Amino acid sequence: MTGRPRPAATSRASDRLRRLLVLVPYLVKHPGTELAEITRLFGVREDELTSDLNLLFVSGLPPYGPGDLIGVAIEDERVWIDMADYFSRPLRLTRAEALALYLRGTALAVTPGLREATALASALRKLEERLGPETLGELAERVEAAEGGKPAETLDALRKAVAGNERVRIEYYAASSAETTAREVDPEEVFFAIGNWYVAAFDHRSGEERLFRADRIRSVEPTGEPFEPRGLAGAGRALYTPTERDVPVRLLLHPAARWVGEYYEVDAETKTPTGDLEVQLPASRLEWVARLVLRLGGEAEVLSPPELKGRVRELAGRTKELYE
Amino acid sequence: MHPLERLVNLVALLLESRRPLTFEQIRGKMPEGYGQDDLQSAKRMFERDKDVLRDVGVPIEVIATDPWEVEQGYAILKHRYYLPEIDFTPEEISALFVAAHAGGPDDAAEQAVRKLLYGTDGGLVSGAPSAPLAAEAGVVDARLTAAAEAIAERRSVRFAYRTSRGVESERHVDPWGLVFRAGHWYLVGLDRERQEIRAFRLSRAGGELLLDGEADPPPEGFRAAEHVVGGPFGPGEPEERATVAFSPDVAWWATRGVQGAVVEDTRQDGWVQVTLPAAPGDALASWILSFGPDAVAVAPESLRAEIVHRLEAALR
Repeated sequence: MTGRPRPAATSRASDRLRRLLVLVPYLVKHPGTELAEITRLFGVREDELTSDLNLLFVSGLPPYGPGDLIGVAIEDERVWIDMADYFSRPLRLTRAEALALYLRGTALAVTPGLREATALASALRKLEERLGPETLGELAERVEAAEGGKPAETLDALRKAVAGNERVRIEYYAASSAETTAREVDPEEVFFAIGNWYVAAFDHRSGEERLFRADRIRSVEPTGEPFEPRGLAGAGRALYTPTERDVPVRLLLHPAARWVGEYYEVDAETKTPTGDLEVQLPASRLEWVARLVLRLGGEAEVLSPPELKGRVRELAGRTKELYE
Repeated sequence: MHPLERLVNLVALLLESRRPLTFEQIRGKMPEGYGQDDLQSAKRMFERDKDVLRDVGVPIEVIATDPWEVEQGYAILKHRYYLPEIDFTPEEISALFVAAHAGGPDDAAEQAVRKLLYGTDGGLVSGAPSAPLAAEAGVVDARLTAAAEAIAERRSVRFAYRTSRGVESERHVDPWGLVFRAGHWYLVGLDRERQEIRAFRLSRAGGELLLDGEADPPPEGFRAAEHVVGGPFGPGEPEERATVAFSPDVAWWATRGVQGAVVEDTRQDGWVQVTLPAAPGDALASWILSFGPDAVAVAPESLRAEIVHRLEAALR
């Protein structure tokens, strides 16, 4: 890859060329593929696709007579390409492409509870064997992935409920309140983020959209009642949604506790001259923050609110009794 | 003539030609593309097109066309251009599709899987998730790709790094391996200044990783994963075992995600006693403390002492 900036017109031509050199071989091998399928597989809009195809059938080999040009036919929303033997196989993967796919696949393959795990593992082995050292280098031997967790046992039941738009009754341990409660939820999406499976659902107990960590769901019981999906966002969303009830919590983090600033969504962050980090984060319940401060030992200090200081002391006192 | 048409024709011409073609020959075969009266501007256009082709990944070779190497010709060698045969089952290609889309879009990974679609049986990705299966495969960004390239090319890398304690410095590293653990990618290699093997979490590398000179190869039997210590979010690498008791409220889920956790006993008061792998360092103490009064360390004594020490600090 050259990092040189190029004029817009040329870079568009290069994007379109990149696409064509992959699309044409696919269509030569899979004649009569539907337009809709092509747009889905190749991430291209239908108008872009037809303008590319229109250009294609004036292309070919010298002397560019009728018998030298690539044949393109679009009939009944399906596409046929012939007279393009030299494009009958796609361009090989660039090193950057191979690395990006291989690394993503390797990381995903160790996700506990992934349905595609077996297929992904064999696909990655084929990539290692067939792409060979000139593309992947020694990389295959030098990459290791280990998630080291167990899948949540409730995943299958949750996925079934998501697929069938069925309301379920769950028992859930909420870290925010440190309590286990039963509730009915409409689950819309199951996804994996930073080491855990989550389900995005509408929670009838609070009347709000919530994220539930799958490993903290003790049981899933079908209700037989269908629900209308609300289009809740799952993957890629922030794991914490601020609410109006949030209290701003200010913590002073010593160096060993600085990861808190990376791991949680913080509103504000200031470095102090002594190398500490002062963060402000939103919390709708103080219980989980108190437990967080406790786990950090002396590495975090509560600056505000004052009642949080009291909660931490009380929690520490009750915990210490267990050691007496 | 549209630039795209000219580019497609150029690729087709060079792929089909049995011999390397000089620019003059290419100009003669593609008069509509490079037949301008002004030779210099035609030549410049050809040079730009060649750059575009290289950028797209088309391997254009420059080969001497006579034994005295006076004239140069251009060629695309079929065996370097065409993707080798790889047949994927629909399940395999679907899984790669999911991987390419996991954790946000990535042009390079998506383009890779599109090229591979060619080799599917029947061609159609049956069973591909209609909504992309949501999953996060760690953030694959420019830093990770650069680290992988450095390993593949045996080059050393330079980057700015901030440790978990917030200390920033410039590093020069011979990269020996990549490890994905608990949602993060780590680069493991020889820190040249410190002359020690270190693990660097790539999300803490500021800015770019710059490829530098040749790197020394790793020692025989090197295993990168052994150099990545557990993160602060849970129990880390197992070395010995600890015994922990959990209250009935949390016992059912506390150890669900912990590999190697074994339930030993349920006490009369409903508390559940569990043994689990204990990592060196204080990650386990932190994890137990995060349960507050719903968990108590039973053994070893050093773990209990560490927890009591931290509780006293919180009470001061």
